[in-house]
Amino acid sequence: MARTLSDPGGGAREQNRLLLVATKRSFTIIVYALLIALAFSMIFPYLWMLANSFKSRTDFFTNPYSVIPMPPTLSTYYDALTIGRMGVYLGNSILYAAAVLIVQLLIDSLAAYSFARVDFPGRETLFLAVLATLMLPGSVTLIPTFLIAHGLGLTNSFTGVVLPGFAGAFGIFLLRQFFLNIPRELEDAARIDGSGFFGTYWRIMLPLAKPAMVTLGVFIFLNEWSSFVWPLIILSDWKKYPVTVGIALFRDVNQINWPAVFAGSTIVSFPIVILFVLAQEYIIGGISLSGLKG
Amino acid sequence: MTTLAQPSQPVQSRASRQRELWRRFRKTWPGYLFISPAGLLITVFSYIAIIFSLYISFHQYDIISEARPFEGLENYTRALSDKLVRISFRNTFIYVIVIVPSITIISLLLAVLGNQVRRGRALFRTVFFIPTITPIVVTSMLWVWLYEPTGGINRLLEMINIEGPNWLFNPATALPAIMIMTIWGAVGYYMIIFLAGLAEIPEVFYEAAKVDGAGRWHTFWSITIPLLRNSLIFAFVTLTIAAFQVFTQVFIMTQGGPMNSTQTVQMVVYHYAFQRFEMGYASAISWLLFGVIFFFSALQLKLFISRELY
Repeated sequence: MARTLSDPGGGAREQNRLLLVATKRSFTIIVYALLIALAFSMIFPYLWMLANSFKSRTDFFTNPYSVIPMPPTLSTYYDALTIGRMGVYLGNSILYAAAVLIVQLLIDSLAAYSFARVDFPGRETLFLAVLATLMLPGSVTLIPTFLIAHGLGLTNSFTGVVLPGFAGAFGIFLLRQFFLNIPRELEDAARIDGSGFFGTYWRIMLPLAKPAMVTLGVFIFLNEWSSFVWPLIILSDWKKYPVTVGIALFRDVNQINWPAVFAGSTIVSFPIVILFVLAQEYIIGGISLSGLKG
Repeated sequence: MTTLAQPSQPVQSRASRQRELWRRFRKTWPGYLFISPAGLLITVFSYIAIIFSLYISFHQYDIISEARPFEGLENYTRALSDKLVRISFRNTFIYVIVIVPSITIISLLLAVLGNQVRRGRALFRTVFFIPTITPIVVTSMLWVWLYEPTGGINRLLEMINIEGPNWLFNPATALPAIMIMTIWGAVGYYMIIFLAGLAEIPEVFYEAAKVDGAGRWHTFWSITIPLLRNSLIFAFVTLTIAAFQVFTQVFIMTQGGPMNSTQTVQMVVYHYAFQRFEMGYASAISWLLFGVIFFFSALQLKLFISRELY
């Protein structure tokens, strides 16, 4: 303060400027430190998962928190796939996710196209009725959905797992928005060439909607791949369990076979990592757009 | 009679409107065909399901016995005096009250801070997103391991000379442990929502604030927060709805224990419905939860929307 008074000229201003730069720089450093610390906390659990899945039993029990397996081994994967039955669960998960992915994309896009472009009587009311179901908490529909599936004889069956996932109000909403933004001229041209409703949908609209279909597809896949509660309830035979339920079973027994859990978890996470690398922009874009959790 | 008394104009127009509707229907009937698969599924698994759920909540209903007597409000009054239900609602409330604001505030800060760093922004975004796309079952299992008495969390605490508890087996720390994991896992997702919201704010507002000599803090409160309103509402409401129904983490990590300290409403619904097969009673509890969720989302929307922030 005293120095500023004794030197009211450019020196003080220079000092202030330096002070400002210094605070700005230290602020940036603090921000980076915070973000990096958090980033480490997000990476490390998965890094340990990966490392431990390649450790031998003795290596795991002596160095559970080292990130380099000494020596790396595939024995836990062998255990997880055979004793842990992960191979069976993985096959089931792929089957469920593929079925829901393909059928839901088809059913949602058909309905979305119809809501966007076909001016049938009662269209607005029916669309609102679809949207309204987005607000139903899953907690209320879980028991009756189970009872309906039970009544249809679908408990403990492949169809029972996938059927309720074959249509999604959110997907219909997302695709309808996309279809609405496609210029009508394209369809009119097709209509003049003699295409019917279905022909226009299949040949013109679906190819144009590819970005929206990919975004929705990624979310449907992630959702089905991670789905836990429904398969847990509807299935009673381990031969039909998806990986999520399979991994949870490792926890059920009193002694947890940790290496097998890590190997299983790595196997489950693998397709997701691939998908994330390939479709990150679609995932981020989709969430930014509407905020849907997979 | 009344039709005759009226001028002929509306009668004609009604008839022509009907004719018009028929013509429209004849031209557009494939539209119904297209929505019918989705319509059928949504009708069965949403509309019939919810009516069915309400119906059985007034009955004694299990899938085994054929006798399903009407019980009126019996299930509801039983739920209100059920100690397990009361504990589960208390735990769920604590859970919601802690995690909803925590996730909102932390992810908002992450988004604002992440937006200010120039280098590595995309990398941070990717890394924070990892827990969000990993199946919750996997994340929960990993944290069971991290929460072991000599696990990763306690080793970290040891470094700063704190003796960590046996997290998941101590009634005082089990619920906080689950909440910490959930917050950790969800902030990346909401950060992306807020980043998208921040990108929508025009740069001119910040330039104007700079010209006016507003500081960082002031700019944050009077520009960023009000203009992020839609993202904030979305985050708050969806988080609340999801948090009230928490299940998988608890099921994997503690099964509701120790001593019911992590028993949540959805866990209790699952317990009565699928372990004791009291479907009617469990449905009544799920409707109580629905009522609570509905009340709080309506309240939040009303608070947020009625209050003009700028």
